[in-house]
Amino acid sequence: MLIMRRRAGESFLVGEDIEIQVIQVTGTRVKLGISAPASVGIVRREVQITQNENQTAARNASPRAIESLLHALPALAAPSTDPAPCQDFDEFSNLGVS
Amino acid sequence: MPSIRTKCFQQVEFADSCLFRFPCGLPGFEQERSFVFLDRPDSHPLMFMQSTLTPELCFFLLPVFAVSPQYRLALDEEALADLQLPLTSQPKIGEDILCAVIVCARGNNEPPTVNLLAPVVVNLRDRIGIQVIQTQSGYSHRHPLVPQREMALCS
Repeated sequence: MLIMRRRAGESFLVGEDIEIQVIQVTGTRVKLGISAPASVGIVRREVQITQNENQTAARNASPRAIESLLHALPALAAPSTDPAPCQDFDEFSNLGVS
Repeated sequence: MPSIRTKCFQQVEFADSCLFRFPCGLPGFEQERSFVFLDRPDSHPLMFMQSTLTPELCFFLLPVFAVSPQYRLALDEEALADLQLPLTSQPKIGEDILCAVIVCARGNNEPPTVNLLAPVVVNLRDRIGIQVIQTQSGYSHRHPLVPQREMALCS
């Protein structure tokens, strides 16, 4: 992974025609401006993750899966602990993309 | 009573109170703007979110508190506005809104997971729904449905 340091107002190029500018840095949040051709898709990482997860969930939501899920569900009666925060997401939650 | 062709239960009648508008669709399913929520006694607490546009599209849902009793939902102003809820306070789960997570059954003997990162939230009064991505929450999009000690929480 290429890592570079940029200040507010500075920018960098990806390829010939994609420019990403750091507009503002406030605490843990960074505001970015992206100039790219209309044909380039730009999506927040967590949205893409949710798109993929929704598609997998829809594909696997079959009548047969209901039985096996119901079989697994009684274990929910006494959940052990609250889920620990997922560390994978720290990287982009800290970016504070908005 | 209107009826609908479903993925899992063939033709099913439903009450208008079970029909929800999703003005933005769901990520990956932006064209799907309307779902019927089906709740069958023999499948409790599973719920079925059946598309009215596409009979082959159905999501399995669980109430978030059935999976994570301590779950904390934080709706920002944009989400509250999309849901046509007051911007000044957080709605109460179970009273103002339903908050449910999408279950991913998976195959190949992989254990089922739920998406705690992006719950489905519906305004029960106005019957409007959105899928809210809780970016800052730290919740996993692949939280094991059944606690698995030997498994990492994130994959």
